[in-house]
Amino acid sequence: MNDITTVFCCQDNMDSIFTGIYDAWASRLGHSHVRLQLAAHYNYELFTKTVEVQPNPEKTEKVIRSIRTKISSEAWSMVYRAVLSQYESKADDIYRFLILGFHYGSCVTKMLTEPAVQRIHELNRFVGNEAHFFREFLRFDSMEQNILFARIRPKSNVLTLLTPHFADRISGENFLILDVGRNLASIHPANQPWYLTALTREEAEALLSRKPDQYRDLWKTFYDTIAIEERKNPRLQRNMMPLRYREFMPEI
Amino acid sequence: MGITLKGEIGMLIQESLTLQQKLEILSDAAKYDVACTSSGVDRKGKANTMGNAASCGICHSFSADGRCISLLKILMTNACIYDCRYCINRVSNDTLRTFFTPEEICTLTMEFYRRNYIEGLFLSSGILNTPNETMEKIYQTLWQLREVHRFWGYIHVKAIPGADPELIERVGHLADRMSINLELPTSQGLKTLAPAKTRSRILTPMRQIQKGISENKQYLSERKKSRSSPSLITGKQVITPDDSEFLPTALNSQALKPDSAPANDFASLTFDPSGALKYEENSKFVPAGQSTQMIIGATQETDHQILSVTEALYHNFDLKRVFFSAYTALNDDSHLPALGTPPPLLREHRLYQADWLLRFYGFTASELLSEEKPNFNPLIDPKCDWALRNLDIFPVEVARADYSTLLRVPGIGVKSARRILTARRYGKLDFQALKKFGVVLKRAGYFITCQGKMYRPLRFEEDFLTRELVADDKKKRYELEDTQGSYRQLSLFDDFHLNEQPDSSDLFKSLSGQL
Repeated sequence: MNDITTVFCCQDNMDSIFTGIYDAWASRLGHSHVRLQLAAHYNYELFTKTVEVQPNPEKTEKVIRSIRTKISSEAWSMVYRAVLSQYESKADDIYRFLILGFHYGSCVTKMLTEPAVQRIHELNRFVGNEAHFFREFLRFDSMEQNILFARIRPKSNVLTLLTPHFADRISGENFLILDVGRNLASIHPANQPWYLTALTREEAEALLSRKPDQYRDLWKTFYDTIAIEERKNPRLQRNMMPLRYREFMPEI
Repeated sequence: MGITLKGEIGMLIQESLTLQQKLEILSDAAKYDVACTSSGVDRKGKANTMGNAASCGICHSFSADGRCISLLKILMTNACIYDCRYCINRVSNDTLRTFFTPEEICTLTMEFYRRNYIEGLFLSSGILNTPNETMEKIYQTLWQLREVHRFWGYIHVKAIPGADPELIERVGHLADRMSINLELPTSQGLKTLAPAKTRSRILTPMRQIQKGISENKQYLSERKKSRSSPSLITGKQVITPDDSEFLPTALNSQALKPDSAPANDFASLTFDPSGALKYEENSKFVPAGQSTQMIIGATQETDHQILSVTEALYHNFDLKRVFFSAYTALNDDSHLPALGTPPPLLREHRLYQADWLLRFYGFTASELLSEEKPNFNPLIDPKCDWALRNLDIFPVEVARADYSTLLRVPGIGVKSARRILTARRYGKLDFQALKKFGVVLKRAGYFITCQGKMYRPLRFEEDFLTRELVADDKKKRYELEDTQGSYRQLSLFDDFHLNEQPDSSDLFKSLSGQL
């Protein structure tokens, strides 16, 4: 009986994952007897007991508060980014990290030889890097009524990391960034706070009637002439600007 | 066709081109400039302005040659009075000349910027009539961009050697980074290839900007101090920086106002230097520092000379970056490599590797190269090369070595060295963990021990290690050298002379059965 692992199945969102962590911890079954899984990727196994996690904002709040006060705000920002990543093991990775975190306190983020800490750093880097790539390669199209419209297809859910950058940079513009894969959009009305909303691509494109953006051609002209023929190096170009980021770039 | 004839040079400047045609000509003319970075300054966005800046720099695209596109890199004009032999825009070249008006530059910058195509503007220019006239026009453009269009993003601008110091000073308060091209590593090279330029003419504004930056920093910090203790402010009116930054209320020169300046005429601009700009009291002067660049491979300098000059520039002029530009054979000239000579990309790559070693790894130029060994080894990177010549300090024990020693190990970089320092305070290191920290074990493995153990058994002698490391570096080198597709399949018959016709001695041998 002692060998049976209890699997806590959560949905891929912040509430569900943190509630799962709370429930697994509170179950008092012992850390080696519990596991967290994302429901979408989980296939039932033998010799396990499966518990469906019911998202509970109160429990989420408690977990977040404990991470910030008992570990550190740095640990919280790492965990936050890990939740945004696309890896199916992320819920359990976070759980393993928190076990160490609540034991050692704020120095846990520096214990780089621990595999659980390494893993969180890894997720964190992946999400941070991807957000940075979109800071670089995201392209706005100027639509009617001066609305800027951008589409992205990231692996991690980077909208919440990406939008503050543009809200600071072009605060006087109306812009909309659409995550095509997740049907999620961040909307920023000029000089006002931005917000997230669910929006499909069809809805977004119906909202924004398209007109040809003349600056796309100018940009393409610039892009083509600035390259030096004698130094042509597509491999280096692919290294620096991987193909998957180019889907919505006008110049390529 | 609106063609203006410029009296002094007799150069035709085409005015009636579309914006697209101008952009094509003037970005084509600017593409050999290398310093397209947007780093060095952190600036938050502000209400009623557009833009911010990140000190890490943000690249927005990568062109077909794999170089980063961060800024809108254009020339204001490709007309030039000089005849520098290496330059595509030299006066003796028969190319189409044109120029951007300040309005055109501002529109392009603003529209590209809001679409997130670029991080800001990189403005350079050919010399139009006089250095002063060119610098004035640049100033006017930047002023419009900052004042009229409220652009708050990154601006990199070239200081024109020979321009009035006052003008350079004013431009410096509007730009983030300024640069003056050193053009060639030695003054001898400059004399042969750019007869109109001299070393001192280039270094004077460089020194001016260096002094300007440090004085401005000191001035601003003192100002800050005196503001924080209000008792010190007596009598004098103090302007809070937020309101007065980039608000040149004392700009009394009508000619600099955007609407009164005739848009398409370079000659009629008058500049009135009287009356200091009020915003200069509070604005930062060239906050992202200055940089320079030199051409590699057009003259006969050794890597040792180039690197020594680089080091001197960092030490004596506080430069943020020195850029190297592999010479692309553009002009048919007896003093230059022949047309069709491929740019020395591998050499440029080695110089950049060494440049990093100078700036972040605590190396000096004399450690990497010497009079006796004046050039980099094409087979092996400068850090490995140095390590192989200094085997006595290796292997290094990663669990105990200090930061500066770790940095000298090939395969360990700034990030991985910092991670090692952090991690070993809390736990035991092993090779698996080192790999996770980003240590490149296929190089570092030869030079470190971890808890007293080597990564794998090996003979610790120079020849053996050199062979191993050369094999490692081969693939990368191959990519750099062979972008032109100059490789071919090795052929047993062609390469080992098996296709030669038999001669009389062979007949003889075949007779005697020796073949």
